[in-house]
Amino acid sequence: MEIFVQLLLNGLIAGSLYSLLAIGFNLFYGTVKFFDLAFGTIALVGSYATLSFLKNLDLPLLISVMGGILVGAVLNVIIYKLVYVPIRARKGSNMVLLVTSLGVFTILQSLLAILFSSQFQTLRSAGYVPHIFHIYGASVTSVQVLMIALAVLVPIVMHFILKRTKFGRAVRAIGDNEEVASIVGINTSKVIGGVFFISAALSGLAGIMNGLDRGIEPYMGLALLLKGIIAAIVGGIGYLWGGVLGGFVLGLIENFGTWYLPSEWKDAIAFVVLIIFLIFRPRGILSK
Amino acid sequence: MNALTIKNLSKHFDGVRAVDDLSLSFEKGRVTALVGPNGSGKTTLMHLLSGVTPFDSGEVVVGTTAFSHIAPYDISSLGITRTFQSVQLFEQISVLDNILVVLTERSVWASLFERHSKFHTEKAKGVLEFVGLWEKRSEKVEGLSYGQRKLLEIARVLAMNCEIILFDEPFAGLFPEMVKRVRDAISHMREAGKTIVFIEHSMQLIRELSDYVYVLDAGKLLAEGAPAHVLGERKVIAAYLGE
Amino acid sequence: MGYIIHLIILCLLFAINAMSLNLLIGYTGLLFAASAAFAGIGAYTTVFLLKSTELGFFPAVIISMLVASVMATLLGLVLNKFRDDYFALVSVGFQVIVSTVFMYWVGFTRGPLGIPGIARPTLLGLDFSSNIMFLILVAIIASVVYLFIKFLIGSPFGRVLKAIRDNEEAIKVFGYNTYFFKLTILSLAAMLCALAGALYASYITYISPPVFYLFESILLISIVTFGGLGSLKGPVIGAVIMVLLPEALRFVGFPPEVAAQMRQAVFGLALILLMLYRPQGLVGEYKL
Repeated sequence: MEIFVQLLLNGLIAGSLYSLLAIGFNLFYGTVKFFDLAFGTIALVGSYATLSFLKNLDLPLLISVMGGILVGAVLNVIIYKLVYVPIRARKGSNMVLLVTSLGVFTILQSLLAILFSSQFQTLRSAGYVPHIFHIYGASVTSVQVLMIALAVLVPIVMHFILKRTKFGRAVRAIGDNEEVASIVGINTSKVIGGVFFISAALSGLAGIMNGLDRGIEPYMGLALLLKGIIAAIVGGIGYLWGGVLGGFVLGLIENFGTWYLPSEWKDAIAFVVLIIFLIFRPRGILSK
Repeated sequence: MNALTIKNLSKHFDGVRAVDDLSLSFEKGRVTALVGPNGSGKTTLMHLLSGVTPFDSGEVVVGTTAFSHIAPYDISSLGITRTFQSVQLFEQISVLDNILVVLTERSVWASLFERHSKFHTEKAKGVLEFVGLWEKRSEKVEGLSYGQRKLLEIARVLAMNCEIILFDEPFAGLFPEMVKRVRDAISHMREAGKTIVFIEHSMQLIRELSDYVYVLDAGKLLAEGAPAHVLGERKVIAAYLGE
Repeated sequence: MGYIIHLIILCLLFAINAMSLNLLIGYTGLLFAASAAFAGIGAYTTVFLLKSTELGFFPAVIISMLVASVMATLLGLVLNKFRDDYFALVSVGFQVIVSTVFMYWVGFTRGPLGIPGIARPTLLGLDFSSNIMFLILVAIIASVVYLFIKFLIGSPFGRVLKAIRDNEEAIKVFGYNTYFFKLTILSLAAMLCALAGALYASYITYISPPVFYLFESILLISIVTFGGLGSLKGPVIGAVIMVLLPEALRFVGFPPEVAAQMRQAVFGLALILLMLYRPQGLVGEYKL
């Protein structure tokens, strides 16, 4: 029973991370329709920024976290303006954008490795011991509880933004048909810039939470991205709640999968799940 | 004698009936025009006939053989070829390669060891000279003008030498000299006894080129007959204007 | 001098890999992210045969190439359902699953410990233990591969590949079952990657899983795109630059660990600039 609850909790914790990533990814992909390979690494930029604020500047936790999120988000918008706007303006194909994002991913990752070393580092400050809760014999830390809470709160906030605000309506219009949206008078460039900002903020939040819970290292970006993509596809690509569902489904399958298989096979399991979904239900669980 | 017949053909997209229980026949050696307002199903019908889009129900009869589904790579062996409304060429290879690629062997093994390059180049030269693109043979397609691309598509179907040719708006957006060249190509094929189906909007071209006209509206057959009759019918005019 | 021989051998090995990937990306338009996995399949299968049977190096390599070919065909059956970014994603899935097998099927691969003591090839009494002899061997093999690819691309088969790359739906209409062409080229490319992997194993006389990870596949995509897609010389140039760049950086004064990261950063930046201003790469014929 204990093991079951622990696995369930671990599944939910992993699921929250994947959900947050998937929400950010879905927002992005649902609007501009290409894979940004740097998505996960931007999350790390935010996380390392937080690390610097905490350890080098000694700022309080909350400020550091918000600062880190801001850094990642702003950087993503800058990259958008410098790199993606010109390519999209000349109607570059999805492949060009993908390979470009490969370049962005590569350069960001190597810069992070050079600046912060390849070592695994945790965002927790030296004296901080997280509060541990016990449920039915299984344990979970306060950071982890916060992650799960965020995975429920953030989509609610995003739902509100997408359905009730002018910005959200513009985002959905662009996702439906960008050309028509711009004809109708929406400033697509500005709105997409906003999308780059928010999706980077979301992935930054996910990365920072993960950094607080476990830690970060420069090469994690790809893994974060891939988990986000798999969760998004499984749940229903492009849809907010699809990402949430997919994230938790993936987290639970991965963790309950380790009941039968060694935990190192988690990544392989995730991809097998992905391929099964792509073959039999490519639009995901919550597709139209 | 019908070269091509469709029986109760249907196709819907997300609940919209693009082609609705349609039955038509295309007589051998005849030039038939497919006409109708936008969204009436003409291009969809061509996609169904060329295997580009699978149909939901019905049959396509080529000669005497009936098919309940068609794969795109089968149509050429059935003697069918086509052009595209949106001009589908191979952009980053040369004009000559665009023609050669439809002349060479279709199977993997044979295409590796094919030895008839001189023969194929002669044939390619023939069709490219006919449409006036031989001088551009080494240029990549992406550098051609719109009119030259449409002519290249015509050259490609000429090279295919099929009995049944489907043209989707072959004259759209062309300057008069180009229109003349395309018209000459179609007349040339007609004289060779080919069965031609073409989608067109210009009444003049329809009257000049076609032996028979089918008017489609909302996926169904609205009217049919010789051009002079059909194009004057009230309901046909209403369909164009009322839409 | 010995070091120069070492560099040239590396250039040739990467060139074989790059040329095979170019067949897929540059000539057929398939963005494939599992080259390293097939190099690994070639390496581990060859080593397994060398260590547990009486087979010599060359028969072992040929068998491992056939194994790679079969696996590529099976993979192709799945991959053929997808295109563009989804194709790339599923190939990533295969790459990760195979990497996990290399790392954790310890009975077969000894996992992270790797397999040392791999013999250099012998053929008809000729012994390739010395690096110079090995260099000559690899140079001959690489030249044969180059000429083979030249023949392939100049044939009607090659023209069909380019047509598939440029407009797969259209070439189907003109009588080509593109399915078989794609399976064939996938199989061929996998065999060449396996060959490169087996030669690498024999050269270094030691293999371990990280050499065949996703990271390496992505690096290979970068260098092929950089060198120039759809040209015979492009992948060779890309491979040479990839091997020599860290050397040049070390020469200029960067410490070795940083040099490797700088190479990544330079490649990343180069990719971005290429996609913006010269999408066909340095000497390429094909723009993404």
